[in-house]
Amino acid sequence: MKIRIWLRPVIVLCAFTMLAGAAFASGTLRYATVGEPPSLDQHVVTSDLSTTIAHHIFEGLYTFDASNSPVGLLAAGESVSDGGKAITITLREGVKFHDGQNMTSADVVASLNRWGEFGSRGGLLFANVESVAAAGDHEVTIRLSQPFGPWKNLLAFINGGPAIYPASVAEGAGKEPIAPENYIGTGPYRFGEWEPNRHVELVRFEDYVSPDGEADGYGGARVAELDTLQFIPVPDVGTRVAGLKAGDYDYAESIPGDLYADLEADPSVVTILNGGPIFGLVFTNSKDGPLRENFGLRRAIQTALDKVPALHVAIGPEGLWRANGSFLPEGNVWFTNAGAEHFSMGDVNAARAMAEEAGYSGEPIKFMVSTNYPFHYDTAIVYTRQLAQAGFNIDLQVYDWATLIEKRAQPDQWDMFFTHHGFVPDPILISVMNDNYPGWWATEEKSALKAKFTANSDPAARQAIWTEIQALIYQQVPTMKTGDVYTYNIASPDLVGLGEATLIWPHFWNVSK
Amino acid sequence: MLVYALNRTLTLVPTLLAASFLVFMFIHLIPGDPASILLGDAATPEEVAELSRELGLDEPLWTQYALWLANVLQGDLGTSVFFREPVLSVIASGAETSILLATMTMLWIVLFGVPIGIVSAIRQGSWVDQATSGGAMLFASVPTFWLGLYLILIFSVGLGWFPSSGFPSLADEGGASNLRYLVLPSLTLAAPNAALIIRLIRASMLDVSREDHVRTARAKGLHPARVAIKHIFRNALIAVSAAFGFTFAALVSEAVVTETVFSLPGIGRLVVQSILRRDYPVIQGVILIIVVFYMVINLLVDLAYASLDPRVSLK
Repeated sequence: MKIRIWLRPVIVLCAFTMLAGAAFASGTLRYATVGEPPSLDQHVVTSDLSTTIAHHIFEGLYTFDASNSPVGLLAAGESVSDGGKAITITLREGVKFHDGQNMTSADVVASLNRWGEFGSRGGLLFANVESVAAAGDHEVTIRLSQPFGPWKNLLAFINGGPAIYPASVAEGAGKEPIAPENYIGTGPYRFGEWEPNRHVELVRFEDYVSPDGEADGYGGARVAELDTLQFIPVPDVGTRVAGLKAGDYDYAESIPGDLYADLEADPSVVTILNGGPIFGLVFTNSKDGPLRENFGLRRAIQTALDKVPALHVAIGPEGLWRANGSFLPEGNVWFTNAGAEHFSMGDVNAARAMAEEAGYSGEPIKFMVSTNYPFHYDTAIVYTRQLAQAGFNIDLQVYDWATLIEKRAQPDQWDMFFTHHGFVPDPILISVMNDNYPGWWATEEKSALKAKFTANSDPAARQAIWTEIQALIYQQVPTMKTGDVYTYNIASPDLVGLGEATLIWPHFWNVSK
Repeated sequence: MLVYALNRTLTLVPTLLAASFLVFMFIHLIPGDPASILLGDAATPEEVAELSRELGLDEPLWTQYALWLANVLQGDLGTSVFFREPVLSVIASGAETSILLATMTMLWIVLFGVPIGIVSAIRQGSWVDQATSGGAMLFASVPTFWLGLYLILIFSVGLGWFPSSGFPSLADEGGASNLRYLVLPSLTLAAPNAALIIRLIRASMLDVSREDHVRTARAKGLHPARVAIKHIFRNALIAVSAAFGFTFAALVSEAVVTETVFSLPGIGRLVVQSILRRDYPVIQGVILIIVVFYMVINLLVDLAYASLDPRVSLK
């Protein structure tokens, strides 16, 4: 009898498990994320996880179709006049915010102004903007001081981009990310709740007004078929995979390469490649230290590196990476092989001779890397070894990401640092194009080409200028690309409508289960 | 006892002040700041500096500490830089998970650890003792992340009996049945801790069993079970109660690995993530509350001594 009393709690707990059969509502998608987003404010935050969640809530004037061309989202159309200096955008009518208000040009003007002043990428466009003005309820005119070719791509890129918020939210906001209670957008899902360390929950927006046309990439019709989207932080990859197999999650992101073959063969799991590759970048310091203005020494370092072994070590299966020297991937309009013959030479003897010619005499070269991203660290270890073989004295400094970010802002603290870059639809968005990004590449040659690149609106002419810029990058080596990495996610076979690959961030409108 | 408890509570104040000062200074001495983490890799140093100014992080450290302390004294632990929520509510959300997890773990320890420890001591040297001691050493040695992942593979993926990870609040849909999310993590945590308690109970009972009053009890002809429970186990509990107290405190605040493997929104994971994100208000708030928690547990252990052993007086 006593044993039965002792077993009572066990029996009660086992009874709870019977309730597990009830599981989750069929209309809920449970997405296992690697962590929590810093904020969902798309104007100021550039975290990919943030955009993965937020682009269900917020929409911009434009977005990208499957070929990465900008197409209208909140914009119904546009006209460009005055030699490319006046852009008039017509807005779709009847679009509602999640708080029930109609979206008007006042909201667009306030959002663009806030993004231009405080946004992570807004400065690129707003350096050329003279004014943004409403003309009636559904028309906005952007006046530029000079033609700016990539304006539509910048307006279409939601990550760190110009999401449209209600004027009442945008007007009062500064650089600090907006608070969750102000996450009010026009997207197919509205913000539900954010329980720290538990989940971010989005709920279907019943009054959503979809754009017309067949779904194409992020463009076209958007239908919120699922009732709720839950983004759940699951930091351990073993748990993300096991949880998906156990049916606790429908989708799990950032799965390591060494599991790829097994998961591809597993019928209980669908693998989904990310169509837009990320790529590692090793920046060199143009402000201080032995690499400052010493392009010969930088080229010697570039010549010593063989990228393929590092990709093997850091990423794994060959299907998940490409030793591609073009900054944008093959098949993309910006793909070019200009300068790419220097991408992965791995010639230690030539590198040694070039370093000597550049006046290098064995002084330490400080190379910062973070362990927060295993592929950064693994790649840096291989590079350090290759550079040592070519006679370079590499001082590898390993930090956590927050420390690395602080140190890289101080030019005297480093000579090279490792980071990575997400896929972008226009080269102007690559960080090395920003003169103020750590590394501070702002030579006369770059400035002249960049000015031509941004002032030109003709796609063919811009592509030709980008070819010259990429060749210059291989010549002056402000950064070294490490190769394309195709991350992949896994999903339950029960999800319908995912497609074979994501564009940049997965999206769950037009998806059901 | 009341006066004793009051005196002990008053001694908390200088300890808390010292702890808060040390935590504040140490965390601000680590390079990195929340502004750069918030803005992401694309942000330039100028943009990071601008947000730091908006967050008040450009003020001198002394000013920041004084402001924080003044707010704490009014019961305001500040607002999380990341969650944009009051720190107290962020901690409360984590505390629910941690306290329930620690309680369920203690339940397993008491259910399995205590009886096994008693049997092991009574049957000293027998095959039962050898088997339980060996098993205890095995469980004490198994890494919790390994055990946790295997429990997930067997009971979640294989048998489908328990959820693999996460923990919805008891206030959410599911109510008390959400406790099923804590079964596997609590078993994972209980394994090494129960092993230690088994060893401790066994050793303490063997020590007590050699004392005069036990010999007297046996000489009086008392039933062996009565001697074991009333005269040996009760006295052995004095040493074990401190271990119970601090095990519980550690389970609440230090179960980082288990919380990570099972994706539990607990206090341990909150601290580690807040440090990585440099979310200063949360780090300071959590550490302060953990210090208070340890002190309260310490006080309760002292009070338990007095009730278990009439010879102990509280002054």
